Amino acid sequence: MPQPKLISLATAVDRFTQNGVQYASGAALPIGSDAIVFGRELLRQGRNQLHAIFHCNSQQLNLLAGAGAVDKAECGFSGLEVFGFANGLRRSIETGVTQLEDYSNLAMAIRLLGGAMNWPFVPATVNIGSDIQYRSAFSPEEYPSTSKIPMITDPFSGRQLGAFQSLQPEVAAIHVSMADPLGNAIMLGTEWSRFELSRAAKKVILVADEIVHTDCMRQFPNLVRIPDIVVDAIVYWPFAAWPQSSPGLYDVDEDHMRSMNKALATEETTQQYLKDYVFSYQSHRDYLDMIGNEKREKITQTETSFLMDPYRKWILSADEIAKLVLEGDR
Amino acid sequence: MNSHKLEYTRQEMMAIATGRELRDGELAIFGVGLSMLAGYFAQAHHAPNIRAMTEGGVYGASPVGGLPWGIECNRISANATSFTNGVDALGFLVASGRCDVGIIGAAQVDKFGNVNTTGIWDGEIGDHYRAPKTRLTGAGGANDIACGAGRVLIMVAHEPKRFAEKVTYISSPGYLDGGNTRERYGFIGGGPSAIITTLGILRPDPNTKEFQLDAYYPFSNIEEIKSNTNWALKVSPRVHVVPEPTVDELKALRKVDETGALRKQ
Repeated sequence: MPQPKLISLATAVDRFTQNGVQYASGAALPIGSDAIVFGRELLRQGRNQLHAIFHCNSQQLNLLAGAGAVDKAECGFSGLEVFGFANGLRRSIETGVTQLEDYSNLAMAIRLLGGAMNWPFVPATVNIGSDIQYRSAFSPEEYPSTSKIPMITDPFSGRQLGAFQSLQPEVAAIHVSMADPLGNAIMLGTEWSRFELSRAAKKVILVADEIVHTDCMRQFPNLVRIPDIVVDAIVYWPFAAWPQSSPGLYDVDEDHMRSMNKALATEETTQQYLKDYVFSYQSHRDYLDMIGNEKREKITQTETSFLMDPYRKWILSADEIAKLVLEGDR
Repeated sequence: MNSHKLEYTRQEMMAIATGRELRDGELAIFGVGLSMLAGYFAQAHHAPNIRAMTEGGVYGASPVGGLPWGIECNRISANATSFTNGVDALGFLVASGRCDVGIIGAAQVDKFGNVNTTGIWDGEIGDHYRAPKTRLTGAGGANDIACGAGRVLIMVAHEPKRFAEKVTYISSPGYLDGGNTRERYGFIGGGPSAIITTLGILRPDPNTKEFQLDAYYPFSNIEEIKSNTNWALKVSPRVHVVPEPTVDELKALRKVDETGALRKQ
């Protein structure tokens, strides 16, 4: 029988990560789902020299890189969409702290698909012919690069294709709307590459905004795209993606998206941000206070809240969850 | 623009001109920001049956509450009929060759329609890769759309620094070195069919694939466009004025652009 796997955020980071770890986050969307609070905890526990595998940049990668904790990163998109350039990440790239290896969004997704299949590579006809293929930040002396996305020949038709190296990140933190205590998860909104990542990563930690009873999963098994058998631990953390959004639960916090990105533009203001928004809280209660009552009320009044309606009756109480976490942390 | 009876901004003209390129019933993929507004404008105006998607695999949706902050924004997730994922949208539907048209943006574009969204370097990069002086957003899904979509529309503000003879870094391929060089890579997509700017519309010569001026707006002119283009821009013999936005077009656009993002500049 599967056992409950709820543990605290601090325990998850302590147990599953170390300096230099190859770390992936999901969904790694720039304004939507991402396990952002896991990145805050990585910094709180002083983790550094990370090799970050992010389908796209998010405020998490922006923060980790801005704080100088990322040596290497692989990304499909490195901005914040309509919120502009990611100041922390761009500063760490421009100053040479972070080596960013560029891919496209499809390339990152199929590299995770390849990792999930345990294939060495996946063929595709994107990125070839552009500087994404010819330029490598990890092997800068090689130009045009023939090792980043080498050309291969389709043995059936003779057609030329690009070969994309598969990814199997050592550890992944994956943000989900809801999980049960065993690790079955439902994602509202685009999955992005969370389905593939959950099978590609060697260790998988879910970071869930809500914990629901397993009966909920039995009611909607087709929607459970991450089953417990691929999950190592679950962290319960409402507003885990803040200041980004979680469809059905909360909207993007526009003010904090801007002020956070502004702070990450310089080293000095980044230190202040870390003090105020990373090292400042001692509990989840503190974290919610840090966001503020008024702000939480505002962002939870989302046009998408009806998406949560079918699941609400199965949501577990904070007390029930706390009991399970106590057992899990032992 | 006071000499014209309708008041509209250059960005609105660009979005409407882009939207006019989309045809009813097409399978279309929209990027973030302006390109999404242009796409959903077409849906609200003349292409109600356009099959629109974003690269996150958000289907059947149209924005509520103004310009979505991103392709996964709650503003585009509030009325979707299907949510899937990146492999589905960019792979099964774009890389496969099913997608008719995509709209992408550019920080820099060159005369063969190659797009740079990766970085600004001081001079050439050289044989040894080095970090850009100014790091931009990277390729995102635009490279995948540029390789796979039947045709691609590039939207870009018309400023000299953005219109280069040759981009420093190709993030998303246009016609590469021009002529038939794109064919070398076996892309299933046909390449960019238009560069639509805040001053006019450029289209590729069918043989050389060099982009030339095809049309200008009621408020712009050929000389202004040439002086804002950093290559010797050729002018098509069929060059013409783009019709002004109609009242209905502006109404449809502003319904999509509820917060007036396009009216600010």
